[in-house]
Formats: sequence, structure tokens, C-alpha cells
Amino acid sequence: MSITKLAAPLAIALAISFTLPIINHQYQTAYASETGNSQETELKHKIDTSKLSGVDYWIADMYNNDRVMYAVVVTLVMAVLGTSMAFLTDLVLKALGLEVSKISHRE
Amino acid sequence: MDILNIYLPVAGIEFNALLLIAIGLCVGVLGGFFGVGGGWIVTPALNIFGFHMAFAIGTDLANIFGQSIGAVRKHQKMGNIDWKLGMISIITSVIGLEIGSETIISLEKAGDVGFIVRWCYMFLLSTLGCYMLYDYFVLLPKSQESKGTDRGSDSADQSSKGRNRVSSRLHRIAIPPVVSFPASGIEGVSLWIVLLIFLFTGFLSGFMGVGGGFMIMPALVYLIGLPTAVAIGTSLITVLFTAAYGCFTYAAKGRVELLAAFIMLIGASIGAQLGATAVRYIKGYGIRLLFGIMIIFAALSVATEQFYKITGEHFFQSLAGIVLMGTALTMSAVILVKLKTESAKEKNSR
Repeated sequence: MSITKLAAPLAIALAISFTLPIINHQYQTAYASETGNSQETELKHKIDTSKLSGVDYWIADMYNNDRVMYAVVVTLVMAVLGTSMAFLTDLVLKALGLEVSKISHRE
Repeated sequence: MDILNIYLPVAGIEFNALLLIAIGLCVGVLGGFFGVGGGWIVTPALNIFGFHMAFAIGTDLANIFGQSIGAVRKHQKMGNIDWKLGMISIITSVIGLEIGSETIISLEKAGDVGFIVRWCYMFLLSTLGCYMLYDYFVLLPKSQESKGTDRGSDSADQSSKGRNRVSSRLHRIAIPPVVSFPASGIEGVSLWIVLLIFLFTGFLSGFMGVGGGFMIMPALVYLIGLPTAVAIGTSLITVLFTAAYGCFTYAAKGRVELLAAFIMLIGASIGAQLGATAVRYIKGYGIRLLFGIMIIFAALSVATEQFYKITGEHFFQSLAGIVLMGTALTMSAVILVKLKTESAKEKNSR
């Protein structure tokens, strides 16, 4: 299967993963204002960035200042790494003679 | 080994990178092979090795999302995915999941429900596991016997398709609209039956706070009648979508350790590819047998955890972790060895 064939389902997965949290957030806000209960689910955790540098600093700074951006970066990094690793592993497995194609479903 | 220790800035701890890759590899193999996310292994494993529970769950979901991409790709190549059924599963499971989680929230107002949830979890895992063993050791030989003596019988036909009595009965309830799933070899089943099944598995996921892959795969096999390999691939689509959703929401709440998820995913991606490839070499009933054994041990681990909650003895908590990790490691090893031997056999026979 080529990457292009995987692109459509992946795009749908990403679209859902970005849309549902927004709906959920709207629902929770509406629920909280209706009931007067504010359910605080966010982790009120700040990272001390004074001793950090490079990638660690970048991650920590984003985590401290923009959680939505942090969520977008996490989701995209996982998607890109997952796809690239799958592609690379596939090449290695092919070289080892473990290539797969359509199979007959034996029970 | 200290040289492999890395500082995880979000969780604020040092962690061994090799251990993260090993956990990822192990859960990747199981995920790709059984069509599950494997959160029930990774979350306690990370927690045991020093992760705060909040970070363990979120990091695990991010890893599951990444590893599932590779596994779905591999299963798609092998023709193991029914996208139509998968899409229905996602939509209906989400509704069921919301109903389940709302039920838990309502029950929590009355008191601590953790105890009841663990009992339900334990009951479900052990019942499902025992049924799968019963199916393998009792029902399969019977149907093979009848196939040998009466080739035209219904049971022989069911056996050849991997279909069982429960799914055949459910297929006869033809309440319109009746839909077909050609990719799964399902000629006609009431859409209502399909929706009800996914609503129920979704409800259980929400009620027990688990991903649900371990319920969807057997439900697809035993209730809808899918071949095992197609059930695995199709179950993985639901896992992929729910994990993508979970990854984003948990990260937005500050509960994902990006660096740990990144490193773990390196192992998990390789593992998922190997696990998915192994499906090609092992027959459907063999996969079901291994799955049954695994979830029985998972039930044992939950039972041990329950003892800890009752007695307060930390020994039981450690034992629960050992049982879970031991099962996951052993099962991954069995799958990898099987992959190696079966692929070598195939090469030699060429």
C-alpha cells in the first residue's frame, strides 16, 4: 500500500482527533456553567526551564505557555514518526524476506 | 546503563531510553498481532518504573496512536481491513463510550466505583478468555469432526468460514436495513445488530476506562463472524482513531511526555510491523488461542490488584505488575519466535 492510500484515512483520523476535543471542551464548558461546577482537568504543572537547553527547552517552554500548540505538535510528531518508522521497518523487513501481500484468511 | 538515562523535561524524571524502547517493542508486537492498543500493559509498566499515572496514560495513548499507523498500513497490505465496518465501529463506539463514561460519572457521585469496575473488568476478561479456550479445545475439534463426517452440513460450512453459531444466529435476525460487508465476507446482517454490538463494546470501554481493542476484536469474530485476521485489522482502525483523539486531548491537558512517547514509538513501530507480519503465518484459531491465554493472565493481574486494594499488602501490587509484564513479554516472545520459525519454513519450502 502506498503512502497516498494511507493519506485519506490518516487525514480523517487527524481531523477527528482535532475536532472531537473541541466539541468535548464546548460540552464540558456548557455543563460546568449549567451546574456551576468547574471541572478542572488540566495539569497545573509548570516546568522549570532555567536549567534546560535545546530541544528540552523548546518542549518545556511550549508546554508551559501554549498547551494547544503542545497538543498539536505531539499529535503531529507521533503521526509523522509512526508513518516514517513504518516505512523504514517495511524496507528492512522486505530486505529480510518478510514482505507481505494479500493473504488468504485461514481459520 | 546510566549512559542511556535521559532526562524527560515534562515528567521531570530521568528514565532509561532502552527500557522505553523495550516496552514499546513489546506492546507494538502485541498491538500489531492482536489488533489491540495495549494500554493495559504500557500504563502500569510506565507507572511501575516511576512515571506519574497522569503522564503514563497520556504518553501511552500518544504511543498507541503512532504505532497503530504502521500496523494499520501493514494489515491493509494483507487485505485485513474492512473500512466500512471500521467506520461504523468508530462512530458507534464513541457514542457507547460517552454513555459508559457518563454512567461512571453518575455512579461516582454515590461513592467509590473503582472496586466494582475492577470486578467487571476481571469478570469480562476471564469469561472472554475462557470462552476462547473452550472454542479452541472443544468447539473446534467438534466442528472439524462434523466437517469430516458431513461435508454438506451447516457447521462444516461455518467452520470453513470461521463463522460460529452465535454469529450465524445473529445473521438470521434480518431486521432491515440489512447490510453486507464484502471485504469481510459478510453477505447480510442487520445494521441494528452491528450498531448494538459496537454500542455495547463502546459502553464497556467507557465504563471500564479502557481502549476497547481487546473487546472489539473478539466481538467482530464471535458476534459478527469476521475471519480473525480481518477482525484484527478492523479493530486496529478503531484503536487508531480513539488513540489519536486521546493523544490530542491528553496532550492539551498537559499529560503527555513527548520525549518518552517519541522514544517508545521507535520500538513500538518496529514491534507493530513484526506483530502484524506474524498474522500472515499463524492461523486464525491459533491467534485466538494466544489471545485467550493472554487475557486470562490479564484477569489474574487485575485480581491480584484487587487483593492489594482489599488487604493493603504491597506484595500483591508488585505481583500484579510482575504477572502483567511477564505475560506481555512471554507473549511477545512467542509471537516473534513463531514469526521466525514459520517464515524460515516458508523460505525452505520454496
